[in-house]
Formats: sequence, C-alpha cells, structure tokens
Amino acid sequence: MTISSEIQAAARDLLADGQVEVVIGYELGSRGRTRPAFITEARDIERLVWNQACTHNLTTYLNARLNPGGPGKPLPPGQAPRRAAVVVKACDSRAINVLLAENHFEREQLHVIGVVCEGILEGAGMAGDLRSARQLPDEGSGQLQARCQRCTERTPLVYDTLVGERLAQPAPSHPSAPDDLQRLEAMSPVERAEFWLAQFDRCIRCYACRQACPMCNCPSCLYERDDSLYVGMGIRLDEKRTFHLGRAFHLAGRCIGCDECERVCPMEIPISLLNRRLAVEVEANFGHRAGMAPVPPPFVSVLSSPHSGG
Amino acid sequence: MMFEPKIIAYLCTWCSYTGADSAGIARLKYPSNLRAVRVPCSGRVSPELIMRTFDQGADGVLVLGCHIGECHYDTGNHRTAKRVPVLQALMTFAGLEPERLRLDWVSASEGERFARIVNEFTEGVRLLGPCAWRQRRVWEQHLDLQDALDGAALGEAGGAA
Repeated sequence: MTISSEIQAAARDLLADGQVEVVIGYELGSRGRTRPAFITEARDIERLVWNQACTHNLTTYLNARLNPGGPGKPLPPGQAPRRAAVVVKACDSRAINVLLAENHFEREQLHVIGVVCEGILEGAGMAGDLRSARQLPDEGSGQLQARCQRCTERTPLVYDTLVGERLAQPAPSHPSAPDDLQRLEAMSPVERAEFWLAQFDRCIRCYACRQACPMCNCPSCLYERDDSLYVGMGIRLDEKRTFHLGRAFHLAGRCIGCDECERVCPMEIPISLLNRRLAVEVEANFGHRAGMAPVPPPFVSVLSSPHSGG
Repeated sequence: MMFEPKIIAYLCTWCSYTGADSAGIARLKYPSNLRAVRVPCSGRVSPELIMRTFDQGADGVLVLGCHIGECHYDTGNHRTAKRVPVLQALMTFAGLEPERLRLDWVSASEGERFARIVNEFTEGVRLLGPCAWRQRRVWEQHLDLQDALDGAALGEAGGAA
C-alpha cells in the first residue's frame, strides 16, 4: 500500500464515523504543484496524495479550524469542540507540541496522521514554470531542501496514525550541507549589518512569512498596527528590520525550523537564518528545543533559581 | 573633539532610578552622556523598544533593574534576564556590537554601583565610536524630508542637538 492510499484509508475511517469534520492534507493542483487540501466529504478523499513536494506546514491552519470564533474565544454553549485531522511530517509534528503547550486547542480535538518523511525536494510547492524562473532545480533532480538535509528526525514525534516505515535511527544530517550560519558568524559586525540591510531592503512587507507560520497566530499583529507608538508599519529600512528581528525574537524558543517563512518569501530573504541563530541561542541558554515536548517556551517562565540563567 | 556617545538608560523606578538618585545625593560623578528613561519595571523594556532606541540614534542602551529576587513585581526582572541576552545575540547577528547593549542590576541604595556601571558602559561605547545601526538608504531620504515638512519627525529634534 502506498503512503497516499494509507493516508486516504485513514481519512476515510475518520470522516465516515464523524470523528473529525475536516481532514487537512495535500492534493495535486491543476498545474501539477502539490498544495494543501481541506477534505470534508467522503467523495473527495481520492484527492489526498503524498509525495516529496508536500512542503507546506499544515498545522498553520489548525488554529482557525479548531477555534472558529477566533483564537481564545469560547464556543457558544452546547456546541461540541471542533475536531480535525491533519497530515504532518516530523518537523510539523513539533509545531503541534508548541501549539498544545500554548493552549491553542486540546489534544483530543486533533487526529494526527504522521508520515515518515524522507525529505522534501527543493522547489516543492511551486509549479514548474515558476521553478525555472527562480532557477530552482527540477523535482526530478532529487535535491532536498536545506532544512531536510539538516533534519535528524524523519519520524513524527506526535501522531495518532503513523504512515510509512518507522525509522529506528534518526537519519544523519547531510554532511555536505553548506552552512550559511557559520559563514555569517565569521563576518565582522559591519559586514553582517550590511548583509542584513541588503536583505531587509528587499522586503515588501507582504507578511507572507507571518501567514505561513504556525506560531504567528496573534489575533492582531504587533507589526501591522497603525496605532503603535514605537513600532512602525512602514517600509523604511529600520521599520522592516524591526519587523524581521522582532518576529524572529517572538519565535525564539517556539520556531520549529520548518522554514516555510523563507520558502514563501517572494523576495527570497533568508529569514530562517535568524530563526536558526535564535534556536542555537535558546538551546545554549535554556537547554530548550522547541516542540520536542508540549512544554511552554522559556520566555514565559521565571528563572529556575537566582542567577542560574536557566 | 572627543566622540560623545548618546546613551539611553532604561531605569526601573523601584530600584535603579532610586539608585541613580542615591548617586546624585552622594555627589558621585558619572558621565552626562546618559539620558535616563524611567520605566515601571525592567520587564517593561520590550525588544521592540530597545531596537527602536537604536533606530532613533542611540549609541548605547543600558537596561537597569532590581536584583533578581528583589523585583517589586516578583518576577518582572526574570523576564528581562532571559530576554535581553537573547536579544543581544540576535542584534549582534544583525550587525550590532554586543557591547552597546547592557543589562545590569542596581538596587536603590547602590549609588556607587550605578555610577560605576554608567562610567564603564560609557567608556566602552566611546571606544566603539558612533553606532552604525541607524543607516539610511538613499531612497529613504524623501521620506525623511516629508517627515520634516510634516513636522512629524518625533524625537528627531533632540537628535540634532
């Protein structure tokens, strides 16, 4: 049985006896790209697929689906909590842990279909013509995304149904992966400032990074308010820098490194570098890796003992 | 002429601001480069506020709060103690010299400690020279001009002095 048909079988069971209202998975779009699919009817189940272009982090959609009145708003009395099923990769499953720790929804509201993932191909989620316009390799070339070359998990941490052969050993990270992080660390402050200003200069503040992010779920974004006294929502360089650095800071200890923000960026800003740098810092300071368990990030708790820093 | 850095200090009203008062009462000398901003708690100093301070032309930002365990709000300074080092790492990664941002603790009676920290910090920032964090691109100049015309250049009037 292929992975696609296993996902379809799981979805069929879940929808048939009304365990969930929607199955969030992947389908093939009209131009051949793989895209998110929201399956609510049994007749649509055939649309669900799995391939190495299933790059989207579908946990992004959970908050809106499970809290239809808006985040933190209770349902009207008498209504049963919403339930949804979601297809996740190893990285996405860590996002579920973060969202659970932050009480966005209950674990019972969720049926997680975990897929053992062999890595997602570079250029996934884009139609072929766009891929060649961006000079990205063909899907046939088999080049994995950078995050997948670094991945050490492969098997989801959270799941109710596991699809695919469980890998006993975490796959070693790709040895030849170029590390931009170390290259930047080696620069002088002036060079780094120039590098980042050149990156942020391209930002058009479309907020695609924020929309694609499962952790960016504030009801009203701090960086998109025109009544703020000291956070600008304009397109000046310092305002754009504050947006990107501030967003990275808000994700510190929460970002699970799915790199969707970077993938969806139309201006190709290497946003994931900021997130990775902070993940290193948070792990060094607090010994915390986001999403490994449903525990809150370190910034919302007090110091464990005076002057310990931890 | 020697470079005079512009230093903004966020002082917690319960400890560090009173500590600055103690320094004054004791007639201790500390550099006049310091502009004190009184905040209810060092936990109020958000990362956006610190970045904004540098955006507006500060050469150094000093955040002073109560010692751990002495916070008026119990754990406000715990938040600061966790946040600022990570923000410092982030801003360093984005091109700021880490010495330009400093978090320290000063209690209400520690006037001498306050003066010492301000002296150390000011001399450190003076050695670094003017801060490059606030850079303008050519295309931003017409926005600045528009602001000046609108008379809306908040905080800029002090920057020229």
